[in-house]
Amino acid sequence: MGKMMTGSEALWCSLMAEQVKTVFGYPGGQIMPVYDTYCRFEKDIRHILVRHEQGAIHAAQGFARASGFPGVVLVTSGPGATNVVTGVADAMIDSTPVVVVAGQVPSHLLGTDAFQEIDLIGMTTPISKWSYQIRRPEDVAWAVSRAFYIARTGRPGPVVLDFTKDAQTGVVDFAPQPCRFIRSYVPDPEIPEESLQQAARMIDEAQKPFVVYGQGILLSGAEKELAAFLEKGAIPAGSTLLGLGALDSDNPHLKGMLGMHGNLAPNVMTQNCDLLIAVGMRFDDRVTGKLATYARQARIIHIDIDASEIGKLVPVDLGIVGDAKQALARLTELIAPRSNREWQMESILCTAVEKHQVIDPEIHPEEGQINPGEVVARVADHCKGQALVVTDVGQNQMLAARYSRFAQSRSFITSGGLGTMGFGLPAAIGAKIGAPDRTVVAFLGDGGLQMTFQELGTIMQEGTGVKIVLLNNNWLGNVRMWQELFFEERYSCTRMVNPDFSLIARAYGIPCRHVESREELAEAIEQMFAEEGPFLLDVHVREESMVFPMIPPGKSVDEIMLNNKDWFSYGD
Amino acid sequence: METEKLFEITAYTENQVGLLSAIAGIFTRRSLNIEKLLVYPSRIAGVHKFKILTRAEESQIRAVVLQIEKKVDVIKSYYEIDNERSCREIDDVREFLEKRENDNK
Repeated sequence: MGKMMTGSEALWCSLMAEQVKTVFGYPGGQIMPVYDTYCRFEKDIRHILVRHEQGAIHAAQGFARASGFPGVVLVTSGPGATNVVTGVADAMIDSTPVVVVAGQVPSHLLGTDAFQEIDLIGMTTPISKWSYQIRRPEDVAWAVSRAFYIARTGRPGPVVLDFTKDAQTGVVDFAPQPCRFIRSYVPDPEIPEESLQQAARMIDEAQKPFVVYGQGILLSGAEKELAAFLEKGAIPAGSTLLGLGALDSDNPHLKGMLGMHGNLAPNVMTQNCDLLIAVGMRFDDRVTGKLATYARQARIIHIDIDASEIGKLVPVDLGIVGDAKQALARLTELIAPRSNREWQMESILCTAVEKHQVIDPEIHPEEGQINPGEVVARVADHCKGQALVVTDVGQNQMLAARYSRFAQSRSFITSGGLGTMGFGLPAAIGAKIGAPDRTVVAFLGDGGLQMTFQELGTIMQEGTGVKIVLLNNNWLGNVRMWQELFFEERYSCTRMVNPDFSLIARAYGIPCRHVESREELAEAIEQMFAEEGPFLLDVHVREESMVFPMIPPGKSVDEIMLNNKDWFSYGD
Repeated sequence: METEKLFEITAYTENQVGLLSAIAGIFTRRSLNIEKLLVYPSRIAGVHKFKILTRAEESQIRAVVLQIEKKVDVIKSYYEIDNERSCREIDDVREFLEKRENDNK
């Protein structure tokens, strides 16, 4: 027998049974019984009061991706719940383990358009891994443990618990009910040895194998296995946006980032390899460009834990459903060792062209205004791969991905699949709370910062030591860039009149520095990191900045723009 | 270019609130018309069975079936090309509707 308590207390006890130490939330009417009982649990669980529910869920996402532990969100019904919906969708597409607990009107009022009632299950079913309405206090222990089990196992994702007020106040004889098994759900599919042997044969036969990997490497903890596999087979590799950090930036087999604003070498090698080995990635259209021409010359092996990803977009010769860590460890045993492959050298030309034509002009300009990529590069010079980099969405994101350096895993947090502007600041807060010993740097644009900059209040209240680097060009830069390139320079509604960000930072007690000249940039960065707590570095960057290289939408991944007028040509 | 055919999708599931709309949502996203839908207890106690007829390309059906099976409360999902007889039935209805359309002009 357990202990008599209310459903609200049962929720806190269930969270403690799941080892939860941190909750991001915002109170309101239909979740008040849960908040009312919090004072008895505050020694064990830290509640972070955000300034908007969207901030709570993005912080929980940042927390989860920095720590590997599910992020927990506590909000009220109605608007509290709808405000987390964007983050639920973001967590779903980016496979982030998050558990959302939302208040709901008492069960006898369900379906009556009661005050702050919405059909949260109906809203979140298509964008969550699992959603469930708790209508009785007896179901709390079962639902919470099931939620955590589903959120963190298999391909992780968000789970939504819709908690009626009468279930919060009702009394239950509570005992934890750990969940380790659901008969309809197979989070760890067994990989047939036969398919691994077939994969190893295909790899041994290949002259020009190429690995494309994604966040699945981080999620399965397969960083070492991936490095060992590439080393033994002398196989070059490219990373997706969310795979960044899985390999050290200095790994000789890593040829760079894939996709629209990725590096030349991995995109070109995708079109020249004879065997493409995809691991823990889902062939997003920002990675593949035009599907009809994507890696058509190559045989394709796809390893993913989500069976529905195999063959969804790219037809494969061999699909392996299972954990990346297990698959790579066994494949490494099976493949023949190779000391070197001439094929590795094919990246040299691409890398040289990119350095000369794109990278050097961006990060080592001789004159003019500060380039945004230059700011990222100077921060990277300072941090030497040790920082945990969080980004918003847009040019700041692509440049942070391109010019940051990574010396450890779980060092890059960004909204990849959904591309949620406003993600960066709250995600950085959550990341710092999830990984308090790490230096957390957030690269934000002036657009994205203003979508969620009320969370500066959370930083102030919690004293969260986030280093905010604002790449401020007074434009919605990425859209402006597309308008320049694809909409005949019609700059419709992308110019921003911005506030004085240093005054805003000062209002929140956050030290700030505004930088306009190249001469003071390095020193300002030093100052930012020398400060103990949070810091806002507002850098006025070149207004008409662009991000290159670029594979325009609908083009093949080897049709790459080097600047406004020149295209990469492999023959040159 | 693949041709569209009539497929019968079956899914064996737990009896969970909201599963019908979760499964229907997979068809909605791809603008697939559900031609026929049956939900009933299967011969296994506690397991429910969905039977869904839909017209699509086979590659799309394969992806749909995997996305149905991905739902936590779905046990297994399969598809097969619907038998000749019901194809004819549906073709009959289509012919009838086409004729009515023409008559209406």
